[in-house]
Amino acid sequence: MTDDIAISIQGLNFYYNNFHALKNIGFDMPRHQVTAMIGPSGCGKSTLLRTINRMYDLYPEQKAEGEIWFDGKNILDKRIDLNILRSRIGMVFQKPTPFNMSIQDNIAFGIKLYERLSASEMKDRIEEALRQVALWDEVKGRLHISALSLSGGQQQRLCMARTLAIKPEVLLLDEPTSALDPISTARIEELLDALKTQYTIVIVTHNLQQAARCADQVAFFYMGELIEINDVETMFTKPDNIQTHDYITGRFG
Amino acid sequence: MDLSSASSQLNNSWVQKNNLVQRRKLKNQLFIIGALGITGLLLLVLFSILAILLINGLSGLSLFTLSHMTAPQGIKGGLLNPILGSLFQTGLAIFLAIPIGVLAGIFLAEYGNTRMVSLVRFISDMLMSAPSILVGLFIYTVIVIYLGYSAFAGICALAILAIPLIVRTTEDTLRLIPTTISEAGFALGAPKWKVIIFVCLPIAKGGIMTGILLAISRIAGEAAPLLFTSLGNSDWSWNIFAPMTSLPLIIYQYADSADDQWVQLAWTAALLITMAVLCLNIVAKSYLEKGLKNKRK
Repeated sequence: MTDDIAISIQGLNFYYNNFHALKNIGFDMPRHQVTAMIGPSGCGKSTLLRTINRMYDLYPEQKAEGEIWFDGKNILDKRIDLNILRSRIGMVFQKPTPFNMSIQDNIAFGIKLYERLSASEMKDRIEEALRQVALWDEVKGRLHISALSLSGGQQQRLCMARTLAIKPEVLLLDEPTSALDPISTARIEELLDALKTQYTIVIVTHNLQQAARCADQVAFFYMGELIEINDVETMFTKPDNIQTHDYITGRFG
Repeated sequence: MDLSSASSQLNNSWVQKNNLVQRRKLKNQLFIIGALGITGLLLLVLFSILAILLINGLSGLSLFTLSHMTAPQGIKGGLLNPILGSLFQTGLAIFLAIPIGVLAGIFLAEYGNTRMVSLVRFISDMLMSAPSILVGLFIYTVIVIYLGYSAFAGICALAILAIPLIVRTTEDTLRLIPTTISEAGFALGAPKWKVIIFVCLPIAKGGIMTGILLAISRIAGEAAPLLFTSLGNSDWSWNIFAPMTSLPLIIYQYADSADDQWVQLAWTAALLITMAVLCLNIVAKSYLEKGLKNKRK
């Protein structure tokens, strides 16, 4: 594994009880690039995303086999410290998930898990995180109000800020704009462009235009299998696989 | 001619359909009248209870009643010691029941569906429907026999009655929280206890508070579990290991007495409990509504 590969997936199989959800998946995710995962509902793309930060560990009926290499370690190893893993591989969900506390406490919650900061350092970190997601100008001066009173798009950017504030290396985004209006979506997409200079980004999306706009490489999944992985240009102009072609031209899915 | 035959056909189907529709409307009206009648009957019963309470209890409600202890027959007494006793015992019982109930509720909601969890849930549900006098007898055999009648024993009995209610409401509200919210906490790398305490509990706060208030109103009116435990006391003492009186016990003791003053005090005591429980219920309702409003936002 070379330095410019952030995550390398090898021979990954995933099971929900007896249901075989991911079948022998293997591919690399280059550092500081956006990898988009596309495919019809139920194809396993979200499952794969939730494997990378071991989210599936919360549910005893879910099981992964194979290898996912990240910074010299197989993260599927039982001995991996999940808290540290999740601090290095952050995740943003489909629906905004603000905690029932103030805007600043939402961000401080994550930071406090890993660092002891003075009040002024914390203030700076909160501002930095909010600036990173272009939310600062909209909420400054009312950081103490409930995060639940923000709009959906603002909440989603707050959730990204909360994830970024603990300084992860990889960002997993599970359809982060599917619950948002077009303007909020555009803002998040702009954000991704800015963020990929510092982070490796993996995004699951149902929106093919979004994949075309944001991604560097695109992986197409169908029925738990990785059908094709290619750079974004090739994927959307002359895909190698007929199934990929049918999917991106809207013939099924 | 064509036009008139067509219109007579039309008229005909007006009539045909009309028969069925009229019958349905009639049934509908009968049903509504029935439902309204039964509701009215129930409300009548409820309001007559309240009216009788108000008529009989209000006349005994005075500053004197609220500020004087109970007294022997023939001497004018008040309700100060039972009021204090009710506040003291209900308060401490809830204080005892909250941590146990909330923690058990968390255990049931957040720690999977193991056999242990279903066993605890089963026991807690059984406890919720257990007759309160049984709880009193239980405390009698495990505490009173060794330590004697005491407020402490009464508090334990009341706490046992309150716990299952708090367990149930805590579990139910925690289960209502979308899993994505707690997953978001875990995705930050937070350990489970932090996710539960700092992420889930603040969201469930309203529901848990409602459960606690409902538990208070349940135990505030209980006399049966106190008969064998805190026994009653014609005097007042802050000693938790001495017998203590309370409003439900006073109602029990005074209601069928030959002394008119005592009967009057029993009515007043009943009125006091009812008003307190009513207020608590209103507070609980508004809390619940506020919580729902927040969720909708």
